[in-house]
Amino acid sequence: MDVAADVFSYAYQYFDNIGFLILSASGLIIIFGMMGVINMAHGELMMIGAYITAFSYHAGVPAPLAIIFAGIGAGLAGMVLERLVIRHFYKQLLSSLVVTWGLSLMISQGFLLIFGPTILNVPTPFGNFPVAEQTFGIYRLVLFGGALAIVAGVWAVFTFTKFGTHARATMEDPDMADALGVNTRNIYVLTFGIGAAMGGVAGGMFALTATISPFFGINYTPLAFITVVVGGGANVITGLLSSVMALASVQTAVNNLVNVYVGYIAMMGAAFFILLLLPRGISEYLERRKIRTERKVSRSAPA
Amino acid sequence: MLLDVSGLTSGYGKVRIVNDVSLSVEEQEIVAVIGRNGVGKTTLMKTLVGLIRGLAGTVEFRSQDVTRMRAAERAQLGIGYVPQGRGIFARLSVVDNLRMGEQIGGRGKAPDYDRVHEYFPILKERQAQKAGSLSGGEQQQLAIGRVLVGHPELVLLDEPSEGIQPNIVQSIGEIIKRLRTEVGLTFVIVEQNLDLINAVADRCLVIDKGSIIARLDPAELADPEIARKYLAI
Ligand SMILES: Nc1ncnc2c1ncn2[C@@H]1O[C@H](COP(=O)(O)OP(=O)(O)O)[C@@H](O)[C@H]1O
Ligand SMILES: [Mg+2]
Repeated sequence: MDVAADVFSYAYQYFDNIGFLILSASGLIIIFGMMGVINMAHGELMMIGAYITAFSYHAGVPAPLAIIFAGIGAGLAGMVLERLVIRHFYKQLLSSLVVTWGLSLMISQGFLLIFGPTILNVPTPFGNFPVAEQTFGIYRLVLFGGALAIVAGVWAVFTFTKFGTHARATMEDPDMADALGVNTRNIYVLTFGIGAAMGGVAGGMFALTATISPFFGINYTPLAFITVVVGGGANVITGLLSSVMALASVQTAVNNLVNVYVGYIAMMGAAFFILLLLPRGISEYLERRKIRTERKVSRSAPA
Repeated sequence: MLLDVSGLTSGYGKVRIVNDVSLSVEEQEIVAVIGRNGVGKTTLMKTLVGLIRGLAGTVEFRSQDVTRMRAAERAQLGIGYVPQGRGIFARLSVVDNLRMGEQIGGRGKAPDYDRVHEYFPILKERQAQKAGSLSGGEQQQLAIGRVLVGHPELVLLDEPSEGIQPNIVQSIGEIIKRLRTEVGLTFVIVEQNLDLINAVADRCLVIDKGSIIARLDPAELADPEIARKYLAI
């Protein structure tokens, strides 16, 4: 028994799980936080990203560029969906679930009709590296790094740009943002487009590791959904990170103690337990606590 | 005439709340709108701002017909709105709340933070804090400061004194008057606080059941009979 290798393997799995959850859920949680809509067709936007990546790659486009094409294509597809369908269902969680679920079926069946049950896969790049007796895929680490880069990029856009301030304000009170001169319709289309593009990029990155089929999205939608609900929509970044870290710790620990299937079940159990305590998600709780603390501080300081 | 409203009617769905309201406001006037709770004052303000579509009538701002315009377009023309309950973005920092006012009166113009901090120094001290952590009086200053960052010509205030300590109400009254003379702003103020009305308003419009039923000089409200009749105080 090589303890160092086991520790490494454990950490590797943890980061792998975190990367997987972040990539699956980050676009979805932005749309949820912003519009109160859970887009059940998010997995299909990821699938579109995977198809674009595969077709581009086999047409000779280098993989990184193919993944960027996936983001652009899925982003545009998302903006069309938003304009045609989703804008009618803002802040209506249940109707939006049903409608977007219907959309997801239509998109995957449409792809099945047009492209058939499978297309040519894309090989996983970079190969493996050994630690003690075990080998680990390098690309999994790239996925993790990509996930962090996406989160950091989104955080920067929503924190430092004018668009970001307008988007956060619109998310909190669309009428007030409107009355202050913000074109909220544009904010919604753009935000939805960004969420969809993130799905497309994630789909493109996963395309290098998975079988690409019209039902590609099914691999990601359920876990993404749970991650988003546990994180809550009050703060997209803290919601995503806290939820992902909590769920991935449980999954990784139980994976190692028992096996993968029990790991999944344990993760669902953890999600259930967190939602029992914090029905509106972790970030809602954190945000409220932050405001309460700041209020106390500003009361005790002489103004 | 800065604001010209004629025959304005609006409501929620098919329920009419505001009924055939006509009024005009000249530049640098301060006009108070008074009336009991639930008579439609807030609905009137929202219709003027463009958050509720009018069912009939017209709204002209600087002789331009804005009746069909969205709220955002009206804001960009120079209508600043400080809603009842203040409408601050609790989760945004104070400075991000202020940034939200930059579009008022034209997107191309440079925002004026110095002016805001001069009138409301507390907003500079608290700029990094979340707006939800401010006291009621500070939030009201933030809501007014937010429209001042841009370049409004007309400011609509809905019950600025609601839930605020008397000394802050007084200082808000003074700031309103200074803004009229120093910046040249025009105000329409929905208000129940007679002291504030007396301190700032040039004239009063009394609303009942969505219509203007009387036009008063603020001094007339000093008569308790009249005040009781129109405000049920
Ligand atoms: N969003 C709404 N939907 C339906 N009815 C409303 C809504 N807001 C206010 N009302 C009704 O419109 C009437 C006028 O309300 P409001 O304009 O807020 O009065 P005021 O500001 O004078 O107290 C009230 O009877 C109120 O119940
Ligand atoms: Mg009101």
